[in-house]
Amino acid sequence: MTTEIISTLAKFIAEKILKQPNKEIKPDESLISSGLIDSFSLMDLALFVEDTYGVRIEDTELNAQTFDNLSQLTELIASRQK
Amino acid sequence: MTINQILIVVAAALFWGFVMRERGRLHFILIASIIVIFWLQSALPLRGFDFWLPVATLVITIFSWYITAALEARHSRKNWSTLALIITIVLLLNLTRFLPFDPALTASRPPQTEILLLILALSGLFLFLTKKLTRFHTALLAIAIISLILIFLAIKVPAFAYWVSYGIRLLTSQSLEQAKITDLRWLGFSYVAFRIIHTLRDRQMGRLPDVDLAEYMTYVIFFPAFTAGPIDRIERFMKDLRQPATALGNDELLVAGQRFILGLFKKFVIADALALIALNDVNALQVRTAGWTWILLYAYAFQIYFDFSGYTDIAIGTSRLLGIKLPENFSTPYLKPNLTQFWNNWHITLTQWFRAYFFNPTTRWLRSWKNPLPMPLMILVTQVATMVLIGFWHGVTWNFTLWGLWHGLGLFIHNRWNEFTRARATAWATTPIRQNVLAISGVLITFHFVALGWIFFALSSTSTSLHVFLKLFSIK
Repeated sequence: MTTEIISTLAKFIAEKILKQPNKEIKPDESLISSGLIDSFSLMDLALFVEDTYGVRIEDTELNAQTFDNLSQLTELIASRQK
Repeated sequence: MTINQILIVVAAALFWGFVMRERGRLHFILIASIIVIFWLQSALPLRGFDFWLPVATLVITIFSWYITAALEARHSRKNWSTLALIITIVLLLNLTRFLPFDPALTASRPPQTEILLLILALSGLFLFLTKKLTRFHTALLAIAIISLILIFLAIKVPAFAYWVSYGIRLLTSQSLEQAKITDLRWLGFSYVAFRIIHTLRDRQMGRLPDVDLAEYMTYVIFFPAFTAGPIDRIERFMKDLRQPATALGNDELLVAGQRFILGLFKKFVIADALALIALNDVNALQVRTAGWTWILLYAYAFQIYFDFSGYTDIAIGTSRLLGIKLPENFSTPYLKPNLTQFWNNWHITLTQWFRAYFFNPTTRWLRSWKNPLPMPLMILVTQVATMVLIGFWHGVTWNFTLWGLWHGLGLFIHNRWNEFTRARATAWATTPIRQNVLAISGVLITFHFVALGWIFFALSSTSTSLHVFLKLFSIK
């Protein structure tokens, strides 16, 4: 389940946000603090998570302290799906 | 803050760490913070206002706590005793007016006690009315946010500030000709307002943790961060404050001390030395050559960084002595390869505040439209609006507006540029040398873009700013 979420999110980021479908994004690769995803694309990611997993990520949570890589984001999703 | 004030503040923190050890941290910080906000408020031309403005800060904070607190928690004994404590301190500070020597804790002799009692009585009555209006709770939260923004505008828009001062002078029979826009320099209000708005918004969304009056007050007016931030988030601050306090150990003392001394060095040695040649309204018109104009501008760019990040180091170091780990506000911003990264690392807590309470909700709202705007237009609108608002936070003037526009457009251009070149840049930068070439040129371009933007920030008039721009490129 976890690996599935990670690969779906990695695919979304590579294809839709970075427009580099072949780019591999590792589960522990930093996304926000490294500047890979800017604040505008971060909202894309949040909306994608909400649509796909039915989990709301609040506006105040879109920052590197709440999650900065795919593992942390997946953990957040899993903790809210329960 | 002067160096003496800073040293007294850090002495207070050390006193708690060494003498009181782990006892009574919350109340120690609360009492110290209340005294500090009166003590640091500078004298104002409006009679008594160096006392009334800190009183207003306290009253606003108490109200905001009251409407954000859970109904059943509001009237507990603990909160009543905190309220009594706050009133006692304010009364005692006011009574120093009768001391035979000059007051030490307020800029001028505190005003009449009967007026203070009247203000306290009126505030009490208002609080009682608020209690009766509990069923309009949602409206009260919205009214509170709007009121804070209106107060903000009243003191930050020059024309409004002038009329407010004029009105106060009319009411208190002081000379009307002397009304100035600087009459209402309300110390710490920008930071206090932003912390409070954060709690009000989070309460609206049902995300605010339960805090009692003493904790809320301590969060809003926490003395190490009162004048220059950082703007912490309440849930993070509470986590530290509720941790059992431990006596100050050697390791902690070393870390805090290093940070504090680094801050002093940055602020009082580097920044103050750079200030001698940094761009300002006077030297902007005196300088003759393009080369010297660049030197003035570089000096300003480094002065503002060392000044502000130095203050932040002082705040972070001091608060660590009290066991509170404030968030970072700067992370080598001038070494970032693009403008987006610069804004992720300059005044971090302010930009995060704007992201959480303006940029993200606006973006979400624009995305939810049935026929959404084209993506680039959406990015343009949100970036420019956010940056102009950040400009306004510093002051509602033409130059701060232009500074906001400069950065808003810069972020938009960077976003578009990135979109078009990202794949190509990755394909090209296959060797470490090529990657370095990209990174270093990015840093240089970003730094110069930011430095040119400071022209609007450093100077008060648009025509002088334009003059400096032309001079830099030898056009004039």
